Amino acid sequence: MTVSAGVPALSGAPELLKARGVTKNYGPSIVLRGLDMYVGRGEVVALVGDNGAGKSTFIKILSGFHAPTSGTLFWEGRELRLGSPTQARAHGIETVYQDLALVNDLTVAQNMFLGREPIKRVLGFLPLTDAKAMRVKTREFLDQVGIRLASVDSLVRDLSGGQRQSIAVARAMQSRPKLLIMDEPLAALGVREGAHVLDLVQEIRRRRDVSIILIVHNYSQIFEVCDRINFLFSGQIALDVSTSDITEEELVRMVKSGLGATTRDASVS
Amino acid sequence: MGNVTTAAPAGQPPSAAQSAVDRLKILIRYPETGITAVAVVIALVFEVLNGAFLTSEVPVLLASTAQYGLIAVGEAMLMITGEIDLSAAKIYSTTPFFAFYLTQAGLPWAAAIPLALAGAAGIGWINGFITVRLGVPSLIATLGMLFLLNGAILTVSHSQPARTPESFINVLLGGDQQNAGTGISQIAAFLWLVAIALALAVVLRRTRFGLHTIAVGSNLLAARELGIRTQRTKILNFVIMGVLAGFAGIIESCASGSIDPSAGDNTLTLYAIAAAVIGGTSLFGGSGTVIGALIGAFVVASLNDGLPLVGAQAGFADVPLGIAIVVAMILNIKLTALRVRQI
Repeated sequence: MTVSAGVPALSGAPELLKARGVTKNYGPSIVLRGLDMYVGRGEVVALVGDNGAGKSTFIKILSGFHAPTSGTLFWEGRELRLGSPTQARAHGIETVYQDLALVNDLTVAQNMFLGREPIKRVLGFLPLTDAKAMRVKTREFLDQVGIRLASVDSLVRDLSGGQRQSIAVARAMQSRPKLLIMDEPLAALGVREGAHVLDLVQEIRRRRDVSIILIVHNYSQIFEVCDRINFLFSGQIALDVSTSDITEEELVRMVKSGLGATTRDASVS
Repeated sequence: MGNVTTAAPAGQPPSAAQSAVDRLKILIRYPETGITAVAVVIALVFEVLNGAFLTSEVPVLLASTAQYGLIAVGEAMLMITGEIDLSAAKIYSTTPFFAFYLTQAGLPWAAAIPLALAGAAGIGWINGFITVRLGVPSLIATLGMLFLLNGAILTVSHSQPARTPESFINVLLGGDQQNAGTGISQIAAFLWLVAIALALAVVLRRTRFGLHTIAVGSNLLAARELGIRTQRTKILNFVIMGVLAGFAGIIESCASGSIDPSAGDNTLTLYAIAAAVIGGTSLFGGSGTVIGALIGAFVVASLNDGLPLVGAQAGFADVPLGIAIVVAMILNIKLTALRVRQI
């Protein structure tokens, strides 16, 4: 498997995130059963698995919504305890949820700054939002991450699915996170729209300063933009494989031929 | 609200016809466009049929526009958050009594008014608290408040109206009894409405609170995920609604010279909601316009005052109004769908 042009290869990327024996029970149902995962700095890791395998539970733990029942997270080598989504953000973990958290009735620029709008004092006391600054900065930022958009004054309602996904990613990237989690970014998109989003991921990956966990159903689309693929099966990482060590066909064969039996340690460290 | 730019087709300069079409498209994007056209047409039709509609009727028309409008702009804000206040007309009739009883306790009327408005704000806060914190749908929470206030004020006042106290401040609130029929006091209420509506329009589009108001109504979950204080935002809009309804009631008591426990008929609330809806505010939350609600109030007032003038039976005005409400809502839904398809 060739790594796509322009993306520097990673060898022994320093550790950013490590999960050790993470379990999660909801009452009597056990969703995660000792999950181990490793994400290096600047790495793009796909987390693949069927519905109910535990993908969304794991990202809810990573983004601070839930605490694990047992097990430990390490962030840059130190133990990480997250009490809230705000704490996760403060550590540099940004999550783009499937619903994208966009407000249809506001413009692109307003969405970009929603919840932290810049303020200017008009006439010295009226605290109005600085619409011009929001517009200019949004435009700058979209250019930086390579998103083309006719107008930052368009209502989000009027954008295509791919554009909406891109806006949500751009907003998450604004705070310069260390880890970007994308929850099913391709689920609601057509092939062409999905390709745009994958281009965006590739663009971020090229710079190797932000790690990405891509939550996906189907790994065939994302093979080219990932460094590794982690296969989540009944609450554990059943397979952790570098995309340069395996072809897509081999992976399909492996997953199909009773993967549950070949569980191995996910650790790369 | 900013300029809306449309993408010109690459490689060819836009023709004059094209740019005119573009301008028209931009105009259509503003939800106030439709209701403004309707208002102009209605005023002209009545002027043609009656001959004196726009001249002799203006003070009456603007006074009732103010009554509907002050409540309508509050309802518009609240409907943008996805909520509604059915108790507005009762806050309207209760607030002047608050002020009146404060004067009986020795306070001057001019000082009692702001305190009464604080009481109106308190009622709004309770509506908001019950809706947001206790999870009661605002339709029910404010329905309860409607009956509670109605019963309370009828009981306390023994269903008897009171005389509005004389005060210098009444002139500013439309109550210049000596010079009735002349002077600024005639349109004072309307001027208040215009000032308040303009201020709220700026608040809605250009303040954090306003953008959060839209966000809360459009996508509550997203607003929460982004750390917006969604409960506070909604409750504050209930408070604004309470103050506006109370203020409309104070103005009415100053203008009429009496404080009437039955002044705030529930149809006042319904006319105000109608004004907001035909002005382009959707009950689904997220989209709406304060200026549209103001113009909607003018349309409601025109129908109510104008149709009898041109020979229609009293009460007939509700027929076109009823149709207008439903048509406005259908247009709202269809235009949104149309816009999405265009792009």
